[in-house]
Amino acid sequence: MLAIRDIHKRFGHTVAVDGLTLEVRAGEVFGLLGPNGAGKSTTIAITTGLLAPDSGTVDLFGLGSPTNPAVRMHLGLAPQEITLYDQLTARENLVFLARLSRVAAPRHRADELLELVELDARANDRVATFSGGMKRRLNLAAALVHDPKLVLLDEPTAGVDPQSRNRILDLVRQLAAAGKTIVYTTHYMEEAAKMCDRVGIVDHGRMLDAGTVSELIARHGGKSSVTIEREGTEHRVRTDDPVAEVARHFASGGVTAVRVERPDLETVFLALTGRSLRE
Amino acid sequence: MNAIFAIAHKDLRLMFRDRGDVFFTFVFPVILAIFFGFVFGGNGKSSTIELALTVESDSRLAAGIAADLARDASFDVTRFDTRAQAVDAVRRGKASAAVILPASMQDGLDGIFAGKSIPIDAIVDPARRAEAGLIQGKLNELAFRQFPDMLTDGPQMTKFFAGARASLIQAEQLTPTQRLAISGLLAAGDTFTKSLGKSTATTTQPASTWSPIAVTVAELPARTGLPRSSFDVTFPQGTVWGLAGCIGAFASSIVLERSRGTLNRLRLAPIGRVHLLAGKGLACFTTALLVQALLVGLAVVGFGSSIAQPVMLLVACCAAAFAFSGLAMMLAGFCRTEAEANGAGRGAILILAMIGGGTIPLFFMPPLLKTLSFGSPFRWAIAAMEGPFWRDTPIAEQTTPLLVLLAIGVGGFVVGCRAIGRPFAG
Ligand SMILES: Nc1ncnc2c1ncn2[C@@H]1O[C@H](COP(=O)(O)OP(=O)(O)OP(=O)(O)O)[C@@H](O)[C@H]1O
Ligand SMILES: [Mg+2]
Repeated sequence: MLAIRDIHKRFGHTVAVDGLTLEVRAGEVFGLLGPNGAGKSTTIAITTGLLAPDSGTVDLFGLGSPTNPAVRMHLGLAPQEITLYDQLTARENLVFLARLSRVAAPRHRADELLELVELDARANDRVATFSGGMKRRLNLAAALVHDPKLVLLDEPTAGVDPQSRNRILDLVRQLAAAGKTIVYTTHYMEEAAKMCDRVGIVDHGRMLDAGTVSELIARHGGKSSVTIEREGTEHRVRTDDPVAEVARHFASGGVTAVRVERPDLETVFLALTGRSLRE
Repeated sequence: MNAIFAIAHKDLRLMFRDRGDVFFTFVFPVILAIFFGFVFGGNGKSSTIELALTVESDSRLAAGIAADLARDASFDVTRFDTRAQAVDAVRRGKASAAVILPASMQDGLDGIFAGKSIPIDAIVDPARRAEAGLIQGKLNELAFRQFPDMLTDGPQMTKFFAGARASLIQAEQLTPTQRLAISGLLAAGDTFTKSLGKSTATTTQPASTWSPIAVTVAELPARTGLPRSSFDVTFPQGTVWGLAGCIGAFASSIVLERSRGTLNRLRLAPIGRVHLLAGKGLACFTTALLVQALLVGLAVVGFGSSIAQPVMLLVACCAAAFAFSGLAMMLAGFCRTEAEANGAGRGAILILAMIGGGTIPLFFMPPLLKTLSFGSPFRWAIAAMEGPFWRDTPIAEQTTPLLVLLAIGVGGFVVGCRAIGRPFAG
C-alpha cells in the first residue's frame, strides 16, 4: 500500500528525517509515534509528495511516486495545522474542495461528510466561529472529500477537548471499518495503543521499530514489575510472569497490597531511546 | 474548467467577505472620483438649469417668452446672438440646453387658425436628458402665458381673424353649413376683440392633439471630444484606483493560501498552477469589471457623464480588467510573504498609479512625469477608458492602449505562472 524506503530530509543544519523506512499494509491503521520534532510531519509531507526527500523513495499502491497526480488522487491528508478558509462556512469549504477534486455531486458529498463529522447543524456557519474541536473535525472531513484509499492524519487530536477527541477517534474507527488505510501520527501513546493495528516508533528522523503493540512490548518492554507490600515493607520484583509471581506471594501469606506494572509503549520508548516520551 | 470556476467563485466570496478589500476596491475609488471631481471644479451644477437663449424673432410673443424665461427662478439664462453660439455653449458644457425662438414664430402666429404652430427649438445636452422634459414643459407654459396679452393686442388679433377668413375661403373641403358657422364664429371673435378693454381672460390648453406651440427638442450628438465636467475625468481615474484595489486584494491571495496552509490542499488537488492562476485571475477580472461598471454607472447616472462609444468602452474595460488581473497574478506569483504582498505590492501600485495619472490627470502633468507615465499600466488603462468615454477618439487610435493592456495582461499571467512554478512542481 505505502512503502517508504530510506528517506532523508534536512532543513539547513536540521536533520528532519534520517533514513526512515516503513511499510503500511492495505486496510490497517498505522501509528507513527514520536516526540515533538521527531520528523513525523516531515515524513507525512514527503508521503504526499508536497515535499521532495533529499534521497529515498516513496511508493504508493505500487503505482509509484505521489508526485504523479494519478497516484496522488488516491490519498487524503488532514494536516497538523488547521487548513481551512476561515471566512467560508463549513459547507462552502467542503463544496469548494469537492469541486476542485472533480467530485460528481459536490454539494451532496459535502452534506454527507458534514453528517459524518457531526457538523451538519453548523454547516452554514463560518469556520472562524468554530471551536478547536469542530475545526479539527472539519479539517479531517476535508481530507475525505474525494473518498481516498489512503488517509494521512497528522495529529488529528492535537489541541482538542476530551469529548471532541473521542468523536475523532470514533471517526477514525469508522473509516478503518470502511476499509480505508490510515496513517496516524501522534505523540500520545495511549492513543496509538488504542487506535492502531501497528505502531512505528520514530525519533530523530529514524524508525526505531514497528509492529503491533504487543510485539513491541514483547521485544522492548522487558519484564513486568510486581510490588508486594507486607506490613509496611515493600518488595519489588521484575518478572516475565507477573501472575505466577503474585500467586506465589499470596501463598506465603501476610500480603497487604499488590501492584503490578506491565510494560507499555512508554516503556518501549524508554528502552529504545533512553528517554521518556513525555519529556 | 470547473476547477477554475470553483477557485474564482471561492476567491470572490473571500474578497467580498473581507471588509478591507471591499473598501479599497469599491468604496475608496468612488470617494476619490467624487472628491477629485469637486476639487477640479465639478460641473457647476446647481438647482437652476442653465439656458443659452437666442431670440431670432422680433415678435411680441418672443419678447414675452424671453422676458418670462429670464424671470423664471428655475432657469439661469444667458443670451447669445446666434443659434450657433448658443449650441456651442451647450457643446462646451456651459449650458444644459439652448433655446431658440426662431424668426418663423411670426409665421406660426399669423397662421395659427389655419392649423399652423408657433415653433420653438430646444437643443439639449444628452447628459441633461433628464432636464429636457422640464425645459419642454416650461417653454409650453411660458408660450401659453403670452396669449392673454395677445388677445389684448388689437392689431395682432385683427390680423389673426383676417388670416383666418382668408384660409376659410381656401378650405374647400368644408361644407357650406360648416363654412357659415365658422364665419359667424370668426365675426363674433373679431367683434369681441374690438370691444375688449383690459381683459382678465386666461387660456386653456386646446383639447385636440394640435397645439399652437410646437417645442422641438433636439439632442446634441453625444460625441463632443471634451470632458463635460471634471467628473468625466475623475471617474476613469477612480476606476484605476479600483483596479489598484483589485491588485491589492488579489496579489496577496496566493500568499494568504500559503500562510493559511490551504495552498497545500490546492497543490494536492488534481489541478495545476495554470488552473490556480486562471481561477484567481478570473476572480480578479470579475471584480475589476464590477468596479468599472460601478464607477461608469455612477458617473452617468449621478454626475451627468455620457458615454461617447459604449461598445468600445466595454472593450476598454475588459482590456483594463485583463491587464490588471495579469498584474495581480504576477505579484501573487512572486510574493512569498504577506508582508511582501501587502507592503511592496501596495507601494508599487501607489507609485505606478500616481505617475500613471491616478491622482493628477495626465494632461496636467509636467513633461517629465508624462514621459514616465508611459511606463505605468495605469496610464494605459486611463487612456483606453477616456477614448471611448468622453474623448470620442477614432477607433484606430484606441488600438494602441488596448494592445498595450492586452500585452500587460498576457505578460503578467505568464510571469506569474513561472514565478509560482516551484511549489507546484514537487
Ligand atoms: N520547513 C522547515 N524548515 C526548517 N526546519 C523544519 C521545517 N519543517 C520541519 N523542520 C524541522 O524538522 C524537524 C522535524 O519536524 P517535524 O515537523 O517533522 O516533527 P514532528 O514529528 O511532526 O513534530 P510535532 O510532533 O511537533 O509535530 C524539526 O526539528 C523541525 O524543526
Ligand atoms: Mg508534526
